[in-house]
Amino acid sequence: MKNSSKKFNGFESLKSSDKESLELKSIKLPQNDDLIITEVPDSIIKTLESRIGHMCVKKDESDEVGPTCNMASVPGAVTQRSCVYGGARVVLMPITDAIHLVHGPIGCASCTWDIRGSRSSGEDLYKKGFSTNLQEKDIVFGGEKKLFDTIIELNGIYNPAAIFVYSTCVVGLIGDDLKSVCRETGKITKCRIIHVQSEGFRSFNKSLGHQLACDAMLDQLIGTGKPGLDEKSAVSTKKNIPTLNIVGEFNVAGDLWAIQPLIEKMDITVQSTITGDSCVEQIANAHRADLNIVQCQKSSNYLARQMEQKYSIPHLKVNFFGIEDTAKSLLLIADFFQDQHPEIREIVDKIIETEINKVRSEISHYKTRLTGKRVAVYVGGNKAWSLIRAFEELGMKVIMTGTQNGLPEDYRRIMGTVSEGTLVVDDANSMELAKLIKKYHPDLIVSGAKEKYMAHKLGIPFCDFNHDRISSFASFQGFINFAKEVDRAVSSPVWKLTSKYYQGIVKNE
Amino acid sequence: MSDVNIVERGRTLVVNPLVTCQPLGAMFATLGIHRGLPLVHGSQGCNTFVRYAFNRHFREPAEIAVTSLHEDAAVFGGRSNLISGIKNLSKRFRPDLIGVVTTCSSEIIGDDVDGFMKMAHKELVEEIGEEKANKTKLVHISTPSFVEHHFRGYGNAVKAFVNTLAEEPTESNDKLNIIAGMVNPGDIREIKHMLGLMGTEAIMLSDTSDPFDSPLRPSTTESMPFYPKGGTRVEEIADSSNSLGTISLPFYGDDAANYLEKKYDVSAKIGPMPIGVQNTDEFVRNVTKLTGLEASEELLDERGLLIDSMADLCSRYLFGRKVAIYGDPALVMGMARFVCEMGMIPSFVCTGVENPEFVEEMKKVGKESEGPVEVMPGSDLRALEVRLEEEPVDLVIGNSEGRLITRDLGIPLVRVGFPVYDRAGYHRVPIVGYNGSVNLIDRITNMVMEKYYDEQHWKLQQ
Repeated sequence: MKNSSKKFNGFESLKSSDKESLELKSIKLPQNDDLIITEVPDSIIKTLESRIGHMCVKKDESDEVGPTCNMASVPGAVTQRSCVYGGARVVLMPITDAIHLVHGPIGCASCTWDIRGSRSSGEDLYKKGFSTNLQEKDIVFGGEKKLFDTIIELNGIYNPAAIFVYSTCVVGLIGDDLKSVCRETGKITKCRIIHVQSEGFRSFNKSLGHQLACDAMLDQLIGTGKPGLDEKSAVSTKKNIPTLNIVGEFNVAGDLWAIQPLIEKMDITVQSTITGDSCVEQIANAHRADLNIVQCQKSSNYLARQMEQKYSIPHLKVNFFGIEDTAKSLLLIADFFQDQHPEIREIVDKIIETEINKVRSEISHYKTRLTGKRVAVYVGGNKAWSLIRAFEELGMKVIMTGTQNGLPEDYRRIMGTVSEGTLVVDDANSMELAKLIKKYHPDLIVSGAKEKYMAHKLGIPFCDFNHDRISSFASFQGFINFAKEVDRAVSSPVWKLTSKYYQGIVKNE
Repeated sequence: MSDVNIVERGRTLVVNPLVTCQPLGAMFATLGIHRGLPLVHGSQGCNTFVRYAFNRHFREPAEIAVTSLHEDAAVFGGRSNLISGIKNLSKRFRPDLIGVVTTCSSEIIGDDVDGFMKMAHKELVEEIGEEKANKTKLVHISTPSFVEHHFRGYGNAVKAFVNTLAEEPTESNDKLNIIAGMVNPGDIREIKHMLGLMGTEAIMLSDTSDPFDSPLRPSTTESMPFYPKGGTRVEEIADSSNSLGTISLPFYGDDAANYLEKKYDVSAKIGPMPIGVQNTDEFVRNVTKLTGLEASEELLDERGLLIDSMADLCSRYLFGRKVAIYGDPALVMGMARFVCEMGMIPSFVCTGVENPEFVEEMKKVGKESEGPVEVMPGSDLRALEVRLEEEPVDLVIGNSEGRLITRDLGIPLVRVGFPVYDRAGYHRVPIVGYNGSVNLIDRITNMVMEKYYDEQHWKLQQ
């Protein structure tokens, strides 16, 4: 069932009555004047002129232009960015029954194996670290032979569903022909050997790595599956049951397991998830779905757009973080299937009614404690905007947000979501972050592990929203976890004890 | 005397590696310098993933800068990136030392790193004046990722520090240079404690204790940038040529020690990692040889406490138990010997490093072992896993990377070394010296009790 008559995209395509009924009118944001940032402070950008444009403050409703972005980082900065290889690896790594072989020096594999909190319901092959361990002589004579032998060896030991072969900086420099080695070994092993051209230095923006990972799936995996090869893809061949792919959901801390049941409750079959808790064969059959819903729009919009062109599968931009956005996402999906399956809307209405009431009553305790608190968000990908509403639902105000790898379109979304007087920062380095934290002293910082301990040293509570977190934040139940986690961070008694006052008590001052 | 069997990995592929590439070790050593910052000359992943690794293990920030090499640098060279990287870092952070850490890409491109550093310094003198520019020492640490491993990277960094900074000797400072290796803050503090008991002081090359375990005191934290307190000062390294001697606990710190001996006649002692009784005794003897100071009564008491707990615990719970040990080769060498002292059998000793020192030491350990020892140099965790499936042991000793295989095999894992990210406080508790060995024996015995005795415990069992 391809629905091409309507143009679907994001929440804007929802009926306005639906949108209004979901607005959380009860939320009063703190209006205190000192919470409003009016200018980018001089002290932050004092020494590097080139950084000035990378920060801006939203002045009024019409302010849509974000900071300068998508530029190479200043050399010598303690950048929070990563490399193209890292970008490709995070997208593909959650594929559970595949081997992820890193063709390069040992470090590229050593530092990245099993670092993503993507959970699996079955296989754990993806958690192992595989490397060709390139040595000096390989640099001189080329590493193709070694790669060839390694793939044959690997296939013999593990008999995997696929082997993803990642290129690294070194491989780009010495010019190994990954593609032909993968093709040759594929013929010999009869295994899917998929090359990913992710040389680390190819771009300053790891988003290119996301795209290259998507390209590898699009060109070498999606569309190669035969129907009925495994149980899950057999379902999709049954007539009249709507199917979809959940794209850009990586099952960090089990997020997918909170989203998938909702979809299934709507009598929609999940054809595949790309790539959280997925199997190779499912993704190979992803082209059979009726619809793609895209959760991480940073990494996976590209894949959805390409699938739309190639297989005419429409896509919807969804967001399962936050109560309101989860509800809107479900409505959006129901709308899409309205013509053929009008019954879905009823189910969705029911889900929303029961779940929202349940969540609101469960979070009211936390909301009382958190209302009026100020948050600084510095994260990768779509979280820079999708988290903002989620915090507002807890009565908290985001005073600062930013991302390492934002593109102009990302910042337009961010500017559209934040309220006036919010500071928006692109590619902040650790020093700028620290200075901003010291100046504005937010009640909470939300970021990844690299920033966690710096925040703590400055006496500010911290909440993980990255690969490192341990509870699922997605969908309705996830929002309760999220509220709990935020409260745990903000309300921990330890932050009182760090104050000057308490240190004074020790010295009997 | 028992059989020692040396086993090669026997395949090109590496699965679940036990080592990483050189730059990590160099970044670690540089962070042990007071107001020292590593500047990685490579791609952005080269610093980011290493920062994660340090964050996870120490639960501390790790400030590591990068020159952000991109495609144009691969074609035209990394000259402008390195020069502006050094300048930007100097101006914004005002560090005392920048360790320029090379990577696979910058080594292959063939950048003239020394030349670029000189140029950067020259430009800095013009822009901020000579006095300010000279405050930041620039050290070139060559660490090609495709040669050897991160332990060698650590050694290369320490060598680069003394090579660049040590000055012509003037008069003796009555101190000892200690190269502690890739150990934890708790270990370095323990070494300092022991030297204190003997009446001498160390110049740690470098001192990673306080930088990787620093207090949370926002009111006293420097305004910014955030530099942890502690670390070896640049002046101390300059002074290292005046020391009575250098002791490198791991064999991979030998380059710096030998350099100081050759160039400035500072006697060098290499090894052993002071874990267990005999190795710690040897360390104390080395200190005595270099300084003339004797082991104090307090130190002998600490030794006595270790022997006491061995006497209490070994026969009952540990004797004859088979152990597999993996990780840092210097640590494994020390652990294997200590395990023998407790009457346990180091059935498998496994490291990712291929070094003759490791194999030689294990041959010696074999003589002290109650049972056969299988030595696995240049190996990985997969190889160990396969052997443990065939011949299970009672206990595995190693870092957190083995948590999944030991879980699957149902063998308890005693965590030591780097990284340990799934337990708290392991970076703080020493495992070297007499006190550290007491901690180890407690940790091992408690694990053995939990696994093998809890079922049958009764009140009077001691």
